[in-house]
Amino acid sequence: MMSEQLYLINICDIDLTDQRYKISFTHDCDIKSLAQSIKEAGLICPPIVRQSDDKYIIVSGFNRIKACINNHYETIAVHKINSEASEYRCFVQAITALAFKRQLSQAELIISIKYLDKFLDKKQIADKSAAILNVELNVRYIKDLLDIAALPEPVLDLIHQGNISFKTAKKMLSFQKESIKSFFKIFDKIKASNNKQLEIMQYIVEISKRDCIELKNFLKNQDIESIILNKNKEPVLKTKLLRDYLYEQRFPNLSKVRKKVKKKINNLKFGNKIRLSAPENFESQNYSISFTAKNYKEFKTNVKTLNNVLENKKLKGVFEQ
Amino acid sequence: MKIHQLFIDNACARDDEVDYIISKLNIEPQWVENSQPVYDCINNSKDPVSKAKQLLFISKNRGAVVKECPGTSYYTCCDYTILHTGTFCTMDCSYCILQAYFHPPVLQYFAGLETLAQNLDDIFKKKQIFRIGTGEYTDSLIWEKISLQPKFLVEKFAKQNNSILELKTKTTNIESLLELDHNSKTIIAWSLNTPGIISSEEKGTASLTARLEAAKRMESKSYKIAFHFDPMVIYPGCEKQYQKVIHQIFKYVRPENIVWISIGSFRFMPKLKQIIESRFKNSTICYGEFILGLDNKMRYFKPLRISLYKAIIKTIKEYAPNLLVYFCMENEEVWEKTMGFFPKLEGELGHLLDKSAVKHCNLNSFFL
Repeated sequence: MMSEQLYLINICDIDLTDQRYKISFTHDCDIKSLAQSIKEAGLICPPIVRQSDDKYIIVSGFNRIKACINNHYETIAVHKINSEASEYRCFVQAITALAFKRQLSQAELIISIKYLDKFLDKKQIADKSAAILNVELNVRYIKDLLDIAALPEPVLDLIHQGNISFKTAKKMLSFQKESIKSFFKIFDKIKASNNKQLEIMQYIVEISKRDCIELKNFLKNQDIESIILNKNKEPVLKTKLLRDYLYEQRFPNLSKVRKKVKKKINNLKFGNKIRLSAPENFESQNYSISFTAKNYKEFKTNVKTLNNVLENKKLKGVFEQ
Repeated sequence: MKIHQLFIDNACARDDEVDYIISKLNIEPQWVENSQPVYDCINNSKDPVSKAKQLLFISKNRGAVVKECPGTSYYTCCDYTILHTGTFCTMDCSYCILQAYFHPPVLQYFAGLETLAQNLDDIFKKKQIFRIGTGEYTDSLIWEKISLQPKFLVEKFAKQNNSILELKTKTTNIESLLELDHNSKTIIAWSLNTPGIISSEEKGTASLTARLEAAKRMESKSYKIAFHFDPMVIYPGCEKQYQKVIHQIFKYVRPENIVWISIGSFRFMPKLKQIIESRFKNSTICYGEFILGLDNKMRYFKPLRISLYKAIIKTIKEYAPNLLVYFCMENEEVWEKTMGFFPKLEGELGHLLDKSAVKHCNLNSFFL
């Protein structure tokens, strides 16, 4: 059990390299403000450490210790866990210390479950989830989290950074390791919402199945590589380019017709106030036209533009697909 | 698929019809108070759809025995009348909508020839033409080998002159029908596809050649024949493959004995995709160029449908210029661009089909 007493220990006695109990994904965080806060208000919540031979292993408070080092402190007040305490106890301390400070992120939840799984079965984790993780989990969800935890690295980093969602990671479970890694490579270079990630995966899988190309081979496609590895494009733009490319591959005929009609409509020069829209997916025959007008003059100008377009021989061609 | 379990609703009478099925199946039936044990048995399975194909539930039809085809909005329907004789199917086509249509799917055989007779008598009294089929929620001939129902229906229809019975199938289960006095009031219809699609997507069905040979045998017994190209699947080289199927048809059956041929391309409720992906891992059928149709079903991009239809219709017309070819669930533009006309008025397509039925099946033309 953890001692109620505070101990003052030398910071140099803490083994900073041992991160076995680290739950939080904050290795890239800026600790300057935390260091400043400690200077101003002191160390309100002391870290938890465990003695191991002549060194201390951090159980909780990695950033606070880093901040104190940043402040050039030589000693730090800590809670000590009894050296005879079980590994399970240390992990529980590490998880609860974070989970009751703030809500665990998806990646942190996955790490925590992975640690707990060494000591408890899924049912036991579910039963204790509210007490340890500050959130109630069911067995099925715990299984999903463990499955995702088993995906190759850097799955947790990508989840933490928001590059892949929980749903995306779950979908990847059915793929081979090589394909998963290729997907990671894609999602690492782009920035897409959950729905867009799923769409990208879906199109890639469907194209490869349709064309009888092994998924891992399709993912090595040069066109995809040239989009995602382009250093001159921002991740958001790369996402758009990738989606456009995949859509064209997935729906070649529809894409062609869409482009053709768009070009024809643009050639009619309606201007930016009038919008002629083709029927969605060209299933119906109904085109629609709309314009905005702030006043009578603008209204009249729009009607005049429409009349001019009516004289344009190319207009008929828009309706002939 | 082989039937492994037989459940019978206690409400069913232990009559010749039920006894015949029990004796043919040679399975000890489990008599049940209601459908719950059947649902439990199916739902507790890992793959309820596959389980349901091996478990026959003989029950009473507690709903409507005669129904109008539900059709779909925005697309033209043929105004078919459904005789509800059972649900689901023992064959296992990847694209089958019945997998997603019933919750859970139950292979039901509705016992009660008397009930069918009463409902049909009401129809036969009416002064209008009816095209009645049993193939909407099941295959019409899956039970032919173990049931008296097909024989009963053929003979029942033979005695009237305002309705035809269309038995749609992918089987070759025709033996018990061959020698019946059908009086031309039964049309035996085969759903056709290319040999490639039959082998990859229509598990447990008869081969194309077997279907056409069966059609030829039925024709030799003066039965009228129909064919349904539905669902047509678009894949590289499909046009030539479908044209080959048409060449085959006319090698086996004379054009004048074909009452109609319907055409429809693969379309599906979006939720079917997941079922196909999980049950048919090697199927690529849902990775075509599908868009969301106006009826919220996935359909092939229209120009692709039109292109395939044009080729197919042209080939059919080369053999049989006067043969009635129609679309199942297509819209005005598709009709116009492929057939050169569109049955715009309500009931117009149905009327065209009625006329063909009258002509081929000696119905009373006064009812047209």
